[in-house]
Amino acid sequence: MTTILDVKNVTKLYDGEVALDGLSVELQVNEYLSLLGPSGSGKSTLLRVIAGFEMSDAGDIHLAGESVAGVPAHKRGIGFVSQGFALFPHISVFDNVAFGLRHREDDPVRDEGDVARRVNEMLDLVGLADLGDRGINQISGGQKQRVALARTLVADPKIILLDEPLGALDANLRARMRIELRRIRQQLGITFMHVTGNEQEALAMGDRVAVLDNGRLAQVADPDTVYNQPASARVARFLNCYNMFEGRAGDDKQFCVGDASFPYPSPQDASIGPGTYCVRFDKIRVAPATAAPRPGEAGVRATFITSEYSGPSITYFFEGQGNKVLEVEYHLSHRQPEEFSPGSEYSLLWSPGDALVYS
Amino acid sequence: MENRPILRSALALYTALFIGFLYAPFVVLGILSFQSGPEGGPQFPITEWSTYWYEHIFGLTPPSRVAPLPIGETLVRSLTLAFTTMVTSTVLGTMTAQAFRRRFKGSGFVFYLVVLGMIVPGVLVGLGIALVANNLGISRAWWGTAFVAHVVYTFPFAFLVMLAIFNRFDKSVEEAAWSLGVPPMRTFRKVTFPLIFPGVLSSMLFAFTLSYDEFPRTLFAAGADLTLPLAIYGTFAVEIHPNLFAFGVLTTLFSFSLLTVYGILMSISIHRAKKVAIQEEIE
Repeated sequence: MTTILDVKNVTKLYDGEVALDGLSVELQVNEYLSLLGPSGSGKSTLLRVIAGFEMSDAGDIHLAGESVAGVPAHKRGIGFVSQGFALFPHISVFDNVAFGLRHREDDPVRDEGDVARRVNEMLDLVGLADLGDRGINQISGGQKQRVALARTLVADPKIILLDEPLGALDANLRARMRIELRRIRQQLGITFMHVTGNEQEALAMGDRVAVLDNGRLAQVADPDTVYNQPASARVARFLNCYNMFEGRAGDDKQFCVGDASFPYPSPQDASIGPGTYCVRFDKIRVAPATAAPRPGEAGVRATFITSEYSGPSITYFFEGQGNKVLEVEYHLSHRQPEEFSPGSEYSLLWSPGDALVYS
Repeated sequence: MENRPILRSALALYTALFIGFLYAPFVVLGILSFQSGPEGGPQFPITEWSTYWYEHIFGLTPPSRVAPLPIGETLVRSLTLAFTTMVTSTVLGTMTAQAFRRRFKGSGFVFYLVVLGMIVPGVLVGLGIALVANNLGISRAWWGTAFVAHVVYTFPFAFLVMLAIFNRFDKSVEEAAWSLGVPPMRTFRKVTFPLIFPGVLSSMLFAFTLSYDEFPRTLFAAGADLTLPLAIYGTFAVEIHPNLFAFGVLTTLFSFSLLTVYGILMSISIHRAKKVAIQEEIE
């Protein structure tokens, strides 16, 4: 593995506000890194600094071994696909894709036949072979996304930065574009850095997932590790699939949350606290309030509010102590949906080994 | 509104009066320009309908006691001046507005400095330019001192138009071009300029029309060779004949043809967008 992009201690301030706080990240050749973070975490800023649209206030960025400090955006050879696609509205789809080839400073393609061949090849790859003559306003959102991608791919950049590229599409189209992106990537072997606020997208697309929090990297790991072993309570929160309990270490080797107390997941964790106790939505089972827990099980009492059916799974919403909303997810291939009556009390139970504790 | 008949009729009356005051002078002018000549004067009634005064402007009538309007040279001067002013102000205005896209140190001060050109009374500017020119030993001329006065006056208009255009401009298309390896200057030519062209057209129209009939600044700054508005004003001093009205009608027609050209260019530049909107409706 060779490192193609090396971001070292990059800091960026906006009017005194810290957007990037000494952030470091490495990207290997041919890797697909997804960058997950809530809005305001600095993820778009990072892309803009790498692309050369913004200058960092401190730190260093190396591209294929060479520093890009002071190198203007058009000389970096980094492709950039923005959320709004930023297509040129005054020219056709074909001319949009041909734009970089014709007008770039380094090695422009003078031969129109050559341009046409390469553009058509690329339009073919993204499945827009017949739409070259259309105007930008005559194509749909998903097609615009493909044009933006084709326009960037045809220039043969070293890296492509994707700034929430699927954010402007509806859910259906987003899923299809995810598959499309993966296919294109396998065909061309290009290094991608994909910024997203959507945890599913990040986990689905990335070889590795980097979680950004307040301008710093909170965790970089493969999707499986990030999902099952988030590095901190904040990472778990971004993943949006954990119930979180704030509490403290109790006297009896238990973690205390209000009047309830849970056994620690493992002996090593004991005595962590004050901290956060996390249980994944799909690791909880719901039992009648009167039912006795199985041996070793931890649990809380909560009132059923409502449920949400989403095809392969169903999510139940409960209200626990202190008006805290707790979610339970049943994957319907493993469990049968259950009927709960709104306003009634139930026990939410889990085995402590499935929980995570962070200080 | 529907339930307030008094308000409705008041507004209707107001609108009628407004339109009356706007167009009545022009209509009167237009009618009187068809007065008989050379004996007919600039007043009603029309003794006999004729196109005498139009012919008079173009020197097609036999010599009479009414001197021909001095428009030949002055018209060329005014058009030349308006054209060069238009080009200079639009280029300057676009460049300045481009600079204002990024906040820079002292930008607030520079903004007011530019806008001052359209705020300061014209007579003062004209007089000031004349005084400065005299002190520095620069001879006043329509193509020199008056040109400077016109640019100072029209540049802020062009600047404000372009500022409004850039305000709504989506920077990400330029960034997209850069990331494709296209250098900033070429990006401006190939992407930015075509997209801001409607605004450029508007600033050109502003600068041209403002310069074409500019009076107070030119009065002091023009020197010996007069521009059209000055020459026309000069004829008032002797006696007013309907040939002025005929000329007024012709100038207005000229302005309308300019506006038509503007409209055509404008609709061409947004043609694609419109066509698309209609097509999408059909689909």
